[in-house]
Amino acid sequence: MKFTIHRDQFVQSVQHVSKAISSRTTIPVLTGIKLVANEYGVTLTGSDSDISIESFIPKEDGDLQLVEVEDKGSIVLQARFFSEIVKKLPEDTIDIHVTDQLVTTIKSGSSVFNLNGLDPEEYPRLPEIEEENVFKLRTDLLKNIIRQTVFAVSTIETRPILTGVNWTIEDGLLTCTATDSHRLAMRKAKVDTTNELSFTNVVIPGKSLNELSKILDENEEWVDIIVTDNQILFKGKNLLFFSRLLDGNYPATKNMIPTQSKTGVTLTTKLFMQAIERALLLSRDGKNNVVNLKTLGNGNIEITSVTPEVGKVTEDITTNSFNGEELRISFNGKNIIDALKVIESTEIMIDFTGAMSPFVIKPIENDNMLHLFSPVRTY
Amino acid sequence: MNQKYKGRVIFHVDMNSFYASVEAAYDPSLLGKPVVIAGNAEARRGIIVTASYEARAKGIKAPMPLWEALRKCPELIVREPNFDRYRAASKSMFQLLYSITPLVEPVSIDEGYMDVTDNDVNIPPIQLAKHIQERLKLELNLPCSIGIAPNKFLAKMASDMKKPMGITVLRKREVKEKLWPLPSIEMHGVGKKTADKLSKFGIFTIGEIALSDPVFLHKRLGIGGLRIHERANGIDERPVDPSAVEEFKSIGNSTTLSKDVTDVAELRKVIMNLSDSVGRRLRNKGYYAGNIQLTIRYHDFHTITRSSKLSNPIHSHGDIFDAAWRLWSKYWSGEAVRLLGVTAMDLIEKGHAHKQLDLFSYEKDEKEDKLNHVVDELKNKFGENVLLKGTQLRKSNDRSDQLRDRKRRGTSLEKDFLRDGLFKDDEDK
Repeated sequence: MKFTIHRDQFVQSVQHVSKAISSRTTIPVLTGIKLVANEYGVTLTGSDSDISIESFIPKEDGDLQLVEVEDKGSIVLQARFFSEIVKKLPEDTIDIHVTDQLVTTIKSGSSVFNLNGLDPEEYPRLPEIEEENVFKLRTDLLKNIIRQTVFAVSTIETRPILTGVNWTIEDGLLTCTATDSHRLAMRKAKVDTTNELSFTNVVIPGKSLNELSKILDENEEWVDIIVTDNQILFKGKNLLFFSRLLDGNYPATKNMIPTQSKTGVTLTTKLFMQAIERALLLSRDGKNNVVNLKTLGNGNIEITSVTPEVGKVTEDITTNSFNGEELRISFNGKNIIDALKVIESTEIMIDFTGAMSPFVIKPIENDNMLHLFSPVRTY
Repeated sequence: MNQKYKGRVIFHVDMNSFYASVEAAYDPSLLGKPVVIAGNAEARRGIIVTASYEARAKGIKAPMPLWEALRKCPELIVREPNFDRYRAASKSMFQLLYSITPLVEPVSIDEGYMDVTDNDVNIPPIQLAKHIQERLKLELNLPCSIGIAPNKFLAKMASDMKKPMGITVLRKREVKEKLWPLPSIEMHGVGKKTADKLSKFGIFTIGEIALSDPVFLHKRLGIGGLRIHERANGIDERPVDPSAVEEFKSIGNSTTLSKDVTDVAELRKVIMNLSDSVGRRLRNKGYYAGNIQLTIRYHDFHTITRSSKLSNPIHSHGDIFDAAWRLWSKYWSGEAVRLLGVTAMDLIEKGHAHKQLDLFSYEKDEKEDKLNHVVDELKNKFGENVLLKGTQLRKSNDRSDQLRDRKRRGTSLEKDFLRDGLFKDDEDK
């Protein structure tokens, strides 16, 4: 194998596929990046067997010649060394040449590296996915959906299924749900589907979505999304991103969302968020984060937080509207802030259903998302 | 009050081979005979917890395996531990001490400090000590040794000097003569690890500790280094604190298995029993745990402790077991296990604990709380075996059902029961 490649493009691709590579893999060949050169260009692959990323650099992009392939072939190179090397090479182009016995020469200007490669035949094949269940999302929307849900996944392994985001499609409506069982974030979006596509139990690991979001540039191009029983594939321009789906049944979340409200308030998002941020200033080392909310009888609410040895903070907030019963409730302020940060609405609506049951925060300006929180009980 | 640290008179009351003595008090035919308390007596595989002085005279001491003790002394009388009995005896003993002064600080099931600087009876300390010793012997049939000194450390060292039924006065001016020649490991507060470290610095006796540079000790051993330096010089300003027993930071149970076990089902049952007991004690005390720790001692005595912080404070046995079992699944090496322990840490008092309710199960929350109380009431009333989970019924020869906790004598693990109703009569007898 022998080719010359444009350095910037190559560095970017190497960085993308490196996101999938884990140094703790049990399969040695997966510590490497696989390079394949053929008449169309160069393909790079990285995988930790949960996530696999394939990045393609075409021969040409418009007028720009990116790759010149002299000999076709393939090689696997240690990602740890290779990605550092290519980043630091001096010239705009890089020559890569595999000689005998998998030894690979990487040359740029007067700098020459010889790296021992791994046998590309040992590299596992990427899953073959039949393109039956396909739908499309615009990249910027996809990134938004990820940002607005994935923060709510569980980070502890007690219920592994909750470390993922549940995607369902019904009647052309994509619903993405994440919960750590204390808070729940739900985001809906209309999608283009090829046929009458519908599925319910697709659970994508939160980690995969985070990595995907990092790789995708903010743009308006479309991403094809293909779902199988145990894999999901995101197909962008010159990019394939495979992720394993989580095993098991995602818990039913629909009926958890209260349909009535006992106490409803609307608030200016920024005011509410800043008040809670202040209330959390006294919580130590991010412990407990308990914030108490009390209605004041005049339509306004009072926020308090107490840390026994430290002190207390109180703040009144003017509501934009108030109806229903008076209420006292405690909740995890940090969780509220996480949600308020991703709500793109200047005003929010909170619906409480009592001091010991969950409450809902929704944006006023649109109804494409919803956040559910459990209260905190003091005992 | 200005006399607080000047000319204090502190007693350290140390019951002599407590468990064996309690058994002898219960069954006078054992008096004067070599008696040991050991788990799994019939199978001869148990380990000795306590040996009477008659047994000690034959070279038997804890924690010797039973078979070895029996070889040394074939006529040895072996009793299985009966902790209810020991707890009751301990309670009576502390009640007696409280009748002398309220300034009693229980340290463990069988020892405590008393500050008798200003005692109501107004008799000289040595006579008072004799009076206490005689009453304990007469009323409870339990022997003890008492150390008399101007502070807790010296009192503790003094009570160790003459056993059984000793009364020893240790004055500060006698420290040089009486304590300094002793090897450093004899010093209360110096364990094997510290003694090993000290010997590396060329320090072998208490006197050498006393004469070391405190700055050096501080640097090498941390704050504990300063402490042992002070103590070695006879200085200890800790007050006798009757409420110290309430400031326990953890509640734990451990159990030594009667043999090395690799059977996961059996070990699981042990962890379940331990979790049950820890949970009940937590709830009895009105505490929640923010952290659960699992102790595993392997057949080769290699011991690991692993803990995990919890997102919500817990106190139900189910939650404790879940946490302990997660640690087990994560950290067990697969080797044979000798001892298991479950400890609840980061204790939070009821009323200060927060729990973020679970979106999936918030309705169950209160129900579960009520259920736990009912189960505890039943168990307190009718004993440990009234309600068991299926796995706990499995027949086996480990003794976690009885929750022997001898390894940790003198730690907070055992003294929490002292807090409840020292002045109350036992209602559940």
